[in-house]
Amino acid sequence: MIQAEHLTKRYRSRLVVDDVSFVCRPGRVTGFLGPNGAGKSTTMRMLCALTTPNSGRSLVLQHPFRELRNPGRHVGVLLDASAQHGGRTGREILALSACLMSLPAARVQRVVDVVGLTAREADARTRTYSLGMRQRLGLAHALLGEPQVLILDEPVNGLDPAGIRWMRGLLRSFADAGGTVLLSSHLLHEVEAIADDLIIIGGGRILAQGSAAELTSTSGGLEELFFDLTAQHGRGQHGRGQYGREQFGREQFGREEVAS
Amino acid sequence: MNTLTLPGSVPTLRTPGGITFTRLCGVELRKQVDTRAGLWLLIVIALVNTALIVLTLTTVPPSELTWANLTSTASLAQFVLLPLIGVMAATSEWSQRTGLTTFALEPRRTRVNLAKLVSAGLLGLLVMLLTVIVGAVLNVVGIVFRGGDGSWAMDWSMLAGAALALLLLVAQGVAFGLAFLSTPIAIVAYLALPIVWTTLTMFISGLAGPATWLDMNVTMLSLMMGEMSVLGWAQLTTSVAVWVGVPLAVGLWRTARRDVA
Repeated sequence: MIQAEHLTKRYRSRLVVDDVSFVCRPGRVTGFLGPNGAGKSTTMRMLCALTTPNSGRSLVLQHPFRELRNPGRHVGVLLDASAQHGGRTGREILALSACLMSLPAARVQRVVDVVGLTAREADARTRTYSLGMRQRLGLAHALLGEPQVLILDEPVNGLDPAGIRWMRGLLRSFADAGGTVLLSSHLLHEVEAIADDLIIIGGGRILAQGSAAELTSTSGGLEELFFDLTAQHGRGQHGRGQYGREQFGREQFGREEVAS
Repeated sequence: MNTLTLPGSVPTLRTPGGITFTRLCGVELRKQVDTRAGLWLLIVIALVNTALIVLTLTTVPPSELTWANLTSTASLAQFVLLPLIGVMAATSEWSQRTGLTTFALEPRRTRVNLAKLVSAGLLGLLVMLLTVIVGAVLNVVGIVFRGGDGSWAMDWSMLAGAALALLLLVAQGVAFGLAFLSTPIAIVAYLALPIVWTTLTMFISGLAGPATWLDMNVTMLSLMMGEMSVLGWAQLTTSVAVWVGVPLAVGLWRTARRDVA
């Protein structure tokens, strides 16, 4: 269970996240959708106590993240697959975290197998990794502590179609076993295929949330809904065209940019 | 594909043990030596010390080949280079962005930073211990091959002073790393600022007085000679407060609040 209550984050005068509230329930995959700069990453960092909100609060498993002892055993986090020390091997990164979480060393090989990294890949320095390999390593890391909650920012970014399909199955089985999944994405169809619940965010505000079935049953499906919402509610100073289809298409593989 | 071992359906909080400070220090110590940069710094320290040892063993008069002398010869490089491992321990979380992982596993950032400080100090002590052992081996080499004096009298106050000086320098490295959060800037600041300050005190006569209290290069001299007086301790403490305490306080304050991104 993840609860966000009136989360608000301001960088100088810019409101990046504006009064965001939602709940992610166990047994369900919650998709977090929004264009670049909508505030997805900032919100997810606030859930993990990496960014302090100006107001509002969030709970993971009914506790503020900061108060979790050994949080890696409860919450698997993947916020940026590229944020790893390039001089360490994938296996060493996992081993360090396993050690920190007091996990048996065998757990490392287990998650390496689960995400399908070969022994050779796991023993290579992450500097040499492709984005897809980084995502697999990041997911292995998120699963390491056998968490009940997963918080994943753009986890399918850089995965090939087979990888995306595999990820879908993995998250599905995680949720079916009672886990809570929050994943953000630019890829509408991917989210549509995985998510039970949807949160659509634009310009820092929640534009719509509800079950995926409910939201996609509106005329024209999720895609129409998404563009309607983000065009109407886009940040005023950028005008209506900011979140137009063409713009979105070009930017969808870019890294989400949030002032820091 | 393997199936996942998943927890039960009720998402209540299990209670696995917390992360002890000892465990945190152990992991931080490993992180200091498991990267290419960290490993190479240690290798370079060993190489430079080896070169100095060879020079000493071959050129110094046999009467000066003692355990104490050889130990101090074999320990020079770590005073210059080991603090850089401290710098990198502090900066890499931010420059390599590993903080996204580290602080998601232990959100108490000050606790992580203190673990970095303790583990970097521990690494310093391990290196000193190793140097003393190498010094002993070299003393035997000196006796056997050069008919050296071979005295086993160790100046323990000097050795303890050197160990403490190394700890202070490593702490200064961590402190500068935390204050600047960028590896190149922190390293340049760590290396250049004390030199600039020492140079200024040599040219500006009015600064000579304050320098005896505020220049670690000066206050650590008598510490490393093992000749500390009450005044010396007061002067050392003052300079350490300025050069280690202030950047450490700034760094801890800064890293506790900053967005990890």
